[in-house]
Amino acid sequence: MPSPVEIIKARSNYLRGTLEEGLADTATGTIAEDDTQLSKFHGMYMQDDRDVREERRRQMLEPDHSFMIRARIPGGICTPDQWLAMDEIASTYANNTLRLTTRQAFQWHGILKGDLKSSIQAMNAVLVDTIAACGDVNRNVMCTVLPELSSIHAQVCADATSLSEHLLPKTRAYHEIWLDQEKVEGTPDHEPIYGEVYLPRKFKTVFVVPPVNDVDVYAHDLGYIAIVEDGELLGYNVTVGGGMGATHGDPDTYPVLAKVLGFCTPDQVNAVAEGIVTIQRDYGDREVRKHARFKYTVEDKGLDFIREELAKRTGFELEPERPFTFTTSGDPFGWHESEDGLWHLLLYVQNGRIADREGAPHLTGLREIAKVHQGEFRLTANQNLVIARVPAAEKERIDALCAKYGLDAYAKLSATRLNAMACVALPTCGLAMAESERYLPDLVGHIEGLLDKHELSDEAINIRMTGCPNGCARPYLAEIGMVGKAPGRYNLHLGAAHNGDRLNRMTHENINETEILETLDGWFGQFADQRAANETFGDFVTRVSGEQ
Amino acid sequence: MLNALNTDNSPFNEQQIASLQSSLGALDPAQSMWLSGYLAGQLSAGGALPAQATPAAAPAGQALTILYGSETGNGETVAEALAARFEAAGQPAELQSLDGFRPAALKKLEHAVFVMSTHGEGDPPEEALDFFEFLDSDRAPKLDKLSYRVLALGDSSYAQFCEAGRRLDERLQALGAKPFGPRVDCDVDYDSPAETWGTEVLEHARETLGGGEAAAQPANAAHLHLVQAEPAPWTRLQPFSSETLRVQKITANASEKDVHHIELSLEDSGIRYEPGDALGVWAPNDPELVAEILDGLSIDPATKVTAGEREVTVAEALTEHHEITRLAEATVRGLASAGGQDTLAEEYEALDDAGQRAFIERRQLADLVAAYPFQLNAQALVDQLRPLASRSYSIASSQALVDEEVHLTVATLASDAIGTERRGVASQFLNHRVGEGGQVRVFLEPNRRFRLPENPETPIVMIGAGTGVAPYRAFLQELEARGTNPDAWLIFGNPHLRTDFLYQREFLKWRADGLLNRIDAAWSRDQAEKRYVQHIVAEQAERLDEWLARGAHVYLCGALQMGEAVTSAIADALVESRGLDAEAAAAAVANLRREKRLLKDLY
Repeated sequence: MPSPVEIIKARSNYLRGTLEEGLADTATGTIAEDDTQLSKFHGMYMQDDRDVREERRRQMLEPDHSFMIRARIPGGICTPDQWLAMDEIASTYANNTLRLTTRQAFQWHGILKGDLKSSIQAMNAVLVDTIAACGDVNRNVMCTVLPELSSIHAQVCADATSLSEHLLPKTRAYHEIWLDQEKVEGTPDHEPIYGEVYLPRKFKTVFVVPPVNDVDVYAHDLGYIAIVEDGELLGYNVTVGGGMGATHGDPDTYPVLAKVLGFCTPDQVNAVAEGIVTIQRDYGDREVRKHARFKYTVEDKGLDFIREELAKRTGFELEPERPFTFTTSGDPFGWHESEDGLWHLLLYVQNGRIADREGAPHLTGLREIAKVHQGEFRLTANQNLVIARVPAAEKERIDALCAKYGLDAYAKLSATRLNAMACVALPTCGLAMAESERYLPDLVGHIEGLLDKHELSDEAINIRMTGCPNGCARPYLAEIGMVGKAPGRYNLHLGAAHNGDRLNRMTHENINETEILETLDGWFGQFADQRAANETFGDFVTRVSGEQ
Repeated sequence: MLNALNTDNSPFNEQQIASLQSSLGALDPAQSMWLSGYLAGQLSAGGALPAQATPAAAPAGQALTILYGSETGNGETVAEALAARFEAAGQPAELQSLDGFRPAALKKLEHAVFVMSTHGEGDPPEEALDFFEFLDSDRAPKLDKLSYRVLALGDSSYAQFCEAGRRLDERLQALGAKPFGPRVDCDVDYDSPAETWGTEVLEHARETLGGGEAAAQPANAAHLHLVQAEPAPWTRLQPFSSETLRVQKITANASEKDVHHIELSLEDSGIRYEPGDALGVWAPNDPELVAEILDGLSIDPATKVTAGEREVTVAEALTEHHEITRLAEATVRGLASAGGQDTLAEEYEALDDAGQRAFIERRQLADLVAAYPFQLNAQALVDQLRPLASRSYSIASSQALVDEEVHLTVATLASDAIGTERRGVASQFLNHRVGEGGQVRVFLEPNRRFRLPENPETPIVMIGAGTGVAPYRAFLQELEARGTNPDAWLIFGNPHLRTDFLYQREFLKWRADGLLNRIDAAWSRDQAEKRYVQHIVAEQAERLDEWLARGAHVYLCGALQMGEAVTSAIADALVESRGLDAEAAAAAVANLRREKRLLKDLY
């Protein structure tokens, strides 16, 4: 029997449901419950401020509902004009913050139902949309932000954008509901790739340019690893079946790293993607939603089946994979020059949250930069930000603005803090079981203390925290991963590879801050004493655990 | 209750039971209450009840007609009390509301008194509008034969104090009628002057109309519909002391409004109310505010003063017996003169009418004391202050559901004061001072003008802004308890959806359960253009007319201005949907009012 969400999709008339009626309902900040599944396909989640739930119950008020909107930003690239529009939405309709996500998208929180249309229309005015930013479709397509070779980045990013457009849903529902475009009578909607029930589950695609694995290519359903020889993009190794999500206490759910399926040329990218997506459409599990991600389809059917089925659908076979090497999944902060002589400044954004805090008016600062910047902005997969394509003559001005608005923290903070990442979690995320974004900065402070104690202050250990096991901040690929279990309690995972090609292992279940710090204190002591030359913390933990 | 008549130890025979059930069942709670008080009073006084249900001999003499125009029920109560005194004195009287009073009857009228309330900014009550219109028109007859007297009710903190009574008095004289005594204008503490006026009216009737002593027996229950006293035993002057069960803020913390849901216990009070009724509340003034005033005037709080017939400390007088939160024109002038503040007098008199209104509305006594160095002793201060008045709140619950509780929806009144923010006496008391477990003195103020339709199938349209939603909660509780399900439509307005939808969870549940067919809400501050309930009425003209065509009753509850705006929006809606001209639409609205299908509870 199909899962309830499948039934909602099937009855939705290509993602319309009763969204328009729900928007017109002035008695509640909600939309109909079934429609909350459909709104995701339009890039929005209904949420509520969980901090005030109980108080509002006593006040006889419904929960403090608002919406999270996520924009689709292929490759994480936007223009200064687009930035200013995103910023305007943040200060006019949202909670005065702009959130950069782990999948290179913009996110806004706290947008009221009555402001949804205005927000979407403000985006549309600068050619940004939220179509398929969430939902059971191919979501935002990611791309490495900072290759040394700018011509390669341009080509790979163009492929990523083209794929994103190719896999967009074709329904007119978005334009009718949010942009007030007229319904075209007599032309029924049609989804040539997805069909009327779309995919069984969300689907994530990334492009990566080695040796930097900033997008964590192994964590996604479909990946393209650029193969470059002598400055020329030959094509891509195609990876399939990665995914982070798991459920506490359910052994049938677990994070999986993607596997390389073969090699394709740049002109085959869209055909491969369409083939993979339709395989998932036809073979993915539509009965058990927790088992519906492509990673389980790949595991259940096997790589050979996927390869053969793909060849049938595309009419060509993938070539054998080409060699490549990843060194890190982190972001290289600071200034970088590319081959075309332009400069790129990678800024640290704490947990991707751009806000005006005391002494650190980042939202204002980036607005001021956007007003003078002629290049582009790039959102990184680690929730940081690149001021990209800056002519050498402009560097000084950008530096001055960064200094003025406290955006130069990348040059001052510890390597560990710069490599820490948390998901949103409380109070808005409905899935969160524990704090994440609001808590990690404090915890990192304690961890920094321990690193100082063991004279490890310069180590760039990557730390990732999520409020639930679904894995938005890819905690299973962290050297130190913490997954929320209950308020103040986390599962501790240790030992992922610094370049993102090995998952960590859960070492402690349901522990509190004191226990986390005691455990890390012990490990840091051993690491300082016994590490091999250039050995990373993740590798060390894995080696020592294996020896024991 | 009526089933108890059927029990084995019932003293009645079957025929009596049937007869009692049929008579009692027809009574509304206020009538039942009156009857029980009447019977108890008769028995406790050792008097025998009339042995048989034969009418007592009609009192000799000519009847005085007692006419009243009432908006909230106070005028009606005063008129009923007078009728009851006539009844008790065996003096013939006929009690009649101006609602539906036939103009033709006017010229035949020879002996009449009028109890006339003023409503809003000097307007006659809704139910007297037709009467006033007729009186002002060319069709008004000569009234040479009419001998009359007027009791005007009002509130001196509003503009145009007792204006409707004054207009009536002048117009009657212009038409040739002769007053048999001066008009008496009553402020919110109307009990004593109204009683004195009543005594004079009764004496005048005895002297000029005959009757009296001969027929002292009260009439039978058939007269109940004419003569209704306040529901005994708790009254405005003898309030019930009720325990506060719950004080819960029901606007979100971020709201600019501070509205609380208050639950009071009526246990053992015997008070029975109907959805639509109001509850009168006596609230003492804030002792801190009293201390601030006395300190500002350098008056020792323990100084004895005479307030009315009592000798109390000035602190108690200000806390328990006098208005210090609502200024009136007379108070400002009186204080200026008694306190030697020519500056205040000059400043105040230099203002135009609107300026004087604003001056009074934006200040409390404490603000005057802070701004002007009055030279006042304790007694002089007390003498200038109006007596403390009770406050009324539309009841937000149905006893069918909450039994011996009464719920109120109270917005803390924050005055637009200069300098310091000042709070309304009762709203501040209920929301922030009394606390759960504290005592509140209350009494019932029945409002027969705001009842659910008698026919359980009649659709209802409930329009209200802010705390005006209170009686609709009572209505829906009542419908839920009764298990009847007429079409019901709520139109509500407040500043923000997120913070200000009073009882949102309950209304949403009623909608989900099908008890409420529709909710339309106007959130005035949720978009660039301000939106109010009248905009919904305008937008939904077709739907509203369709509901009216099905016989819907339309209720309006909330601020006066809202009531006016919605009333004209309804007329405009009829222009829109029926293609009427403005005059015909106004007539259609007036007709709805006459048919008791446009019902208002405005304040």
